[in-house]
Amino acid sequence: MTNQNHMLLLSKISIIALIIGAISLPLVIELSSPLWMLVCFVYWVIYTDGKWIYLSALILGLLMDVLQGGILGQNAFALVISSAFIFNVKKSFFVSNLTTQQVYIFIGSLIYLITFLLTHILVQGFDFSWLILISPFSSAIMWPVIRFLLAKLKH
Amino acid sequence: MRLLKLFLPILISIILIVLDTRFSYLDNFKRFTLTLLSPIYFVVDLPNHVIDWVNDKGSENAKLVSENEYLEGKLTELKARLQTYNNLVLENQKISGLLDSSYAIPEHQIKLAHVKSISQSRLKKQIIIDKGFNDGVTLSQLIVGSNGVVGHVTQVTPLYSTVQLITDPTQHMPVKNSRNGIRGITKGLASNEKGMIVEYVPLESDVKLGDVFVTSGIGNSYPVGYLVGRVTEINTLLNDSFLSITLQPLQNMNKLELVLIISEKND
Repeated sequence: MTNQNHMLLLSKISIIALIIGAISLPLVIELSSPLWMLVCFVYWVIYTDGKWIYLSALILGLLMDVLQGGILGQNAFALVISSAFIFNVKKSFFVSNLTTQQVYIFIGSLIYLITFLLTHILVQGFDFSWLILISPFSSAIMWPVIRFLLAKLKH
Repeated sequence: MRLLKLFLPILISIILIVLDTRFSYLDNFKRFTLTLLSPIYFVVDLPNHVIDWVNDKGSENAKLVSENEYLEGKLTELKARLQTYNNLVLENQKISGLLDSSYAIPEHQIKLAHVKSISQSRLKKQIIIDKGFNDGVTLSQLIVGSNGVVGHVTQVTPLYSTVQLITDPTQHMPVKNSRNGIRGITKGLASNEKGMIVEYVPLESDVKLGDVFVTSGIGNSYPVGYLVGRVTEINTLLNDSFLSITLQPLQNMNKLELVLIISEKND
């Protein structure tokens, strides 16, 4: 893939993730739904050469923060840290079977969620619904579907 | 070099978090970026537009006529009720005149808005409405539904506005008991989808189950007298000088379709 194609894929993935993330869902489903942006971004990370990963994570995270009306930098911080983990296991991730990939996605999502909640607790106190802790599981479960759909998009 | 590539974005994120929580330098940047991103709300709402369009096309004439008749009936009923209210306003003005009081019932401008999206964040309870600063919406305006207060405007773009619900944990609203005027401040609860609490009501205060709290207008941040919630639980906590009061919002946030944007007449 050329550099231009990488960026084109990232743009498509980002728009899809932002749209899916903005869809209204009942609160219970919303809280436990997958971390769409992270899961979509991981797909891009495993296919890219690693030049602009952290900068892209920062920009996408900031876009999420603005769209969600949250603290600016909260999602960006979480996305940069979790993409660093995914980038470190990228080679292993690429050759692993689907179940192992799901484990990596679970760990990546867990890192994202911990970082995200840590910022929230530091700024706004310990006040959140426990249902949010389900999202790393749902992210891992949804990974095969997302991977399949994004592979179609890539081609 | 690789570490620098990682730590630079982390550092930028941390600086932005600090700046955004402590200062308001980034508000213009956020507003500008949100304006650029607002087509996403349109895309998300597109299926609803299509469904509405199909429903409109598929509705039978007879059904529309009967719906129209029902709405006309409802309008007449509301007009009749408004006459009583207008009489009360006139009576109040006369009494105020006799007593030489400067108090006047505030008049508010009302704009109708459609709800586009409900809650698109895991830690925030908010909705998106289809009116923005092109329609005269400004920050902090009160939003009410047919049964009570919904929240207030926190972000405005040319076409859309974000409304933070009163049940959001970061939302505080000055309220008073409509029965006896006892004042407090509401705070949303993240762990409870529907609930909120009233803080700073002294222990010996006269608050009963079923009492209704309304906006108090203290601080001039919100108009006075709009229904907020009904008391569902009162507890006295040990070593605490305030009552622990739980409110159930009168407005069901999950069934919102239309909301009203309230502003002072002179806005």
